[in-house]
Amino acid sequence: MKRFIVKRLGYAVLSLLLLSLTIFLFVRLTGDPSVLLVEPGASKEDLAAVRVQLGLDRPIWVQYGHFMSSLARGDLGHSFYYRTPVLELYLSRLPHSLLLAAAAMVFSLLVGIPSGILAAVRVNQWWDSAGKIFALLGLSLPSFWVGLVMILFFSVYLGWLPSSGSGTALHVVMPAFALGWYFAAAHMRLTRSAMLEVLGSEYVKLARLKGLPEALVIAKHAFKNALIPVLTLAGINLVVMVNVAVVVETVFAWPGVGRLLYEGISFRDFPVVQATVLIGGAMIVIVNFFVDVLYAVIDPRIRYER
Amino acid sequence: MLRTRMFGLIGSALLMCAIAAPAGAAPEGTLTYGVHVTLAARWLDPAEAEGLITPFMVYYAIHDALVKPMPAGANTPSLAESWSASKDGLTYEFVLRKGVKFHNDDPVTAEDVKFSFDRYKGAAAKLLKDRVREVQIVDGTRLRFHLKEPWPDFMTFYGTSATGAAWIVPKKYVEKVGDDGFKKAPVGAGPYKVVSFTPGVELVMEAFDGYWRKTPSVKRLVFRSMPEETTRAAALKKGDVDIAYLLTGPVADNIRKTPGLKLVGARPPGVFWIDLPDQWDPKSPWHDLRVRQAARHAIDRNAINQAETLGFSLPTGSIIPRSFEFAVAFEPPAYDPGKAKKLLAEAGYPNGFDAGDFYPFPPYDSMGEALAGYLQAVGIRARIRTMERASFLTAWREGKLKGLIVGITGASGNAATRLEAYVSKGGIYTAGVIPEVEDLFQRQARELDRAKRETMVRQIQQILHDRAMQIPIYELAFLWGVGPRVEEAGVDQIKGFAYTGPYEDLRLKRPQ
Amino acid sequence: MNGTRAASLTMPWRFSWLRVEGFPWIPAIIIGVIALVAVFANVLAPYNPEIGVLGDRFRPPAWQAGGSEAYLLGTDHVGRDVLSRLIFGARVSVVVGFTAVIVAGILGTTLGILSGYLGGWVDQVIMRVTDAWLAIPALTYAIFLAAVVGPSEWNIVIILAAVYWTRYARVIRGEVLSLRERDYVRLAIVAGCSKKTIMRRHILPNVLNSAIVLGTLMLGIVIVTEAALSFLGVGVPPPKPAWGLMLADGKKGMMAGYWWLTVLPGLCIMFMVLSANLLGDWLRVKLDPQLRSL
Repeated sequence: MKRFIVKRLGYAVLSLLLLSLTIFLFVRLTGDPSVLLVEPGASKEDLAAVRVQLGLDRPIWVQYGHFMSSLARGDLGHSFYYRTPVLELYLSRLPHSLLLAAAAMVFSLLVGIPSGILAAVRVNQWWDSAGKIFALLGLSLPSFWVGLVMILFFSVYLGWLPSSGSGTALHVVMPAFALGWYFAAAHMRLTRSAMLEVLGSEYVKLARLKGLPEALVIAKHAFKNALIPVLTLAGINLVVMVNVAVVVETVFAWPGVGRLLYEGISFRDFPVVQATVLIGGAMIVIVNFFVDVLYAVIDPRIRYER
Repeated sequence: MLRTRMFGLIGSALLMCAIAAPAGAAPEGTLTYGVHVTLAARWLDPAEAEGLITPFMVYYAIHDALVKPMPAGANTPSLAESWSASKDGLTYEFVLRKGVKFHNDDPVTAEDVKFSFDRYKGAAAKLLKDRVREVQIVDGTRLRFHLKEPWPDFMTFYGTSATGAAWIVPKKYVEKVGDDGFKKAPVGAGPYKVVSFTPGVELVMEAFDGYWRKTPSVKRLVFRSMPEETTRAAALKKGDVDIAYLLTGPVADNIRKTPGLKLVGARPPGVFWIDLPDQWDPKSPWHDLRVRQAARHAIDRNAINQAETLGFSLPTGSIIPRSFEFAVAFEPPAYDPGKAKKLLAEAGYPNGFDAGDFYPFPPYDSMGEALAGYLQAVGIRARIRTMERASFLTAWREGKLKGLIVGITGASGNAATRLEAYVSKGGIYTAGVIPEVEDLFQRQARELDRAKRETMVRQIQQILHDRAMQIPIYELAFLWGVGPRVEEAGVDQIKGFAYTGPYEDLRLKRPQ
Repeated sequence: MNGTRAASLTMPWRFSWLRVEGFPWIPAIIIGVIALVAVFANVLAPYNPEIGVLGDRFRPPAWQAGGSEAYLLGTDHVGRDVLSRLIFGARVSVVVGFTAVIVAGILGTTLGILSGYLGGWVDQVIMRVTDAWLAIPALTYAIFLAAVVGPSEWNIVIILAAVYWTRYARVIRGEVLSLRERDYVRLAIVAGCSKKTIMRRHILPNVLNSAIVLGTLMLGIVIVTEAALSFLGVGVPPPKPAWGLMLADGKKGMMAGYWWLTVLPGLCIMFMVLSANLLGDWLRVKLDPQLRSL
């Protein structure tokens, strides 16, 4: 078991190193940030001075070395645009991103799973159709559109909810819905098909033959088994949510990490982009690592796989 | 018994309010802004001023300058009581106002002024440092700036939003906390002090009642970054913000039509125009004067003005804003597609020609699309190429863009400084030079006699106009929505300033 | 080995499908219509979708007050005919969507098979790269690419393919891992078939089903992603018409009540996603009921 963990850890580190190199190079491909940090009429000397200030005049491997050694010390660099330490910047935004993703995930599960079950149990009846329509809309309406419509309706027209920003519980409602609808739809479809499959299985047929009431059959046997693939997907989706949240963050002026990254790229703020992607990647890699270990704990066969 | 007591207390309280109420009443209320840009920490520090007007949105609130543009004029003495220039143009003397303090109670002294100048590293820093030989502190409240040679534009650069060098920061404090510390907790001499700053998200400020000019009437100012236009407008309608910057087209129109809300337009010195780098190439159709003139007549400036800025912008025939010193106000070329086609035919292009690529100025893509449409209609066919802002600016200054480029700049200055970047030999964006223009330009830069200088600069503009070197469109209006709670929004009080100002003059309506 | 599995041993291109009950006619027709419109756009569209008349901007559809028969579905913010843009937009959606799905599919399936079947260091390398890749969100790639080479239609194809091949690879790899243990594969090994042959003749046909189903689902995602990218300004560049871009541009008019600028492209997107998903669902059930992870 130990060997397994060590090996997996090694892979995780390798992935992260690969990621850091990739993002480092990518970001430098996008161009010269000094152009954006001086006024349009600045002279070439002004630009050169800025480049020196940002450390961009040194050869690439020197920059990378500096980047990695700072990383080892926990220093993720200084933002070009904000002139503050990146780690601080990131950590000030992360809680908001997590809050939004968690709220959206809760919404998507609370809505997705029950409606999926209902749709499966009442296959081809009213619930199923309603569910299908809800899912269809969620999958095909882009989140920015949903967000804007919601702002115009619930905030401007009805005046019930604050239009943007973060702060109170009310502020989370619309962004969470806009972000979560797509995933609610995905989870609903998955739950439905998983349930349908389980409901048609031998196991359930046996339970029915035994004379158990239908509700019990559904609740105890079908539901639990259907939940496994859904929750697996939900786990992955949590990370996906944090990634695609940039659109919702823009519409609702939600101070999250997605917007930080997007603006970082637009402003050619290399340290911010590098750090954000790296941290995001690290989170994925870490999650994968723990999932792998968990599976290995549950299913011993996996440990001995090469 | 308790009742009478209470009445007594209330009564005395009211009485005190009545006594305290007149001019200088305690600041109250909060004014919230929906800001269209991401708030950057370096906007809290005037030493890092870019040549854009945007950071001044913050500087005017929390800092003050020796001289700065105010409703009274471009170089209004603020922290300085007065200033004067020597006859030979080599020395400028400033007398500081007495008894002015920073937010932390430190007095504003000549040391701070010199410190701020030395520390300045933003736009045109090198230019200033090159030209200024020495900053001499005469005594606690007097300074002299000694120039290496006469420089008529010194006050234009030092005393306006062209640079942030005249904006004063406290020397002791900055030396104590360092540059980074200063950006976290800035201290200035302006009407508001910073309460909290969340980078990219929100800036909260509170009135500084020790401000020399007057105590602000509004207690708190909150700037919120809202990059999405529809969200800003929605926030305004809902009442979440009192002022929403940068509204365009149908959104602006909707705000205008909403009862209780006002749409106002500020006109910072920015002119939209189309640059034609190909005209210097003898093989290009743009080399022919008639083709360039045709393009100038092909565009319906009024229609685009209506569509984009609801008519608030000012169509013009010059790339220099009218409000600039030495500017010549040329009328915009008339919208005449028939004449445009005739000119093209005369030049040998009766069926139009392939004009190459058309680069709109990001993010004003829809304006670019409209312009291209008009050119297309007379036969000047161009392919629209939208670019991302950063790449666009880089490619433009590196001369990599050919065809038609939509340009705009809001940098402060006068006609000469504006011309420098685009038509003079050393200019960053200059694609080609007319010898007479260059000659005139060099001469006027050295000319101390204002009248003579003005003549030369005007001559340059005349040549540009006659040669149709660019296609000017309009002086861009910056539209904002103002909510019902705002009594005095400070629109266009400071000429050429896009935002609300001066902040100490803003007022909210007293609740009924 | 149960009965349905045996049926999927052979290549699935059999028209007996069509006679099978439950074939989703409506989605198939919708997709067919969209494809036809895309191909014949030049003939069908009344106007040039990229150039408009500024004076005619924001006209509502013909049946509303202020509308005119000249512009059946109204005009946009620079006076371009919405109907023509929708028609040409189909072309962009179809081209971008299908190309992205196919490229991602080929790349992902190939790597998935190699990774799953060959195992060993090949597997590890591919999986590490996948991990690192997945860590960078699609939108980030899009913005990068737009910054480096400038926004373009083909960027979208590249980005979408680059991001989604990883999904394919993982799923296919999982499939292959279980397929490897099947009797017929073991038999083939015993019989001395080369690795390449096994992968080509035994593994590939069986994962093709999953790939196809994944593809139809991807199609929906691709269209919606294009809309998100256009909203951020890094999607299909104007003035080219694309449904997602029209939706993004249309947000300007939402406040003013110009509903046709967002609802109409939104409906088109919806139909395309709907049809792709229904087709995919049906395919999944027909070809491989075990594929519930999709």
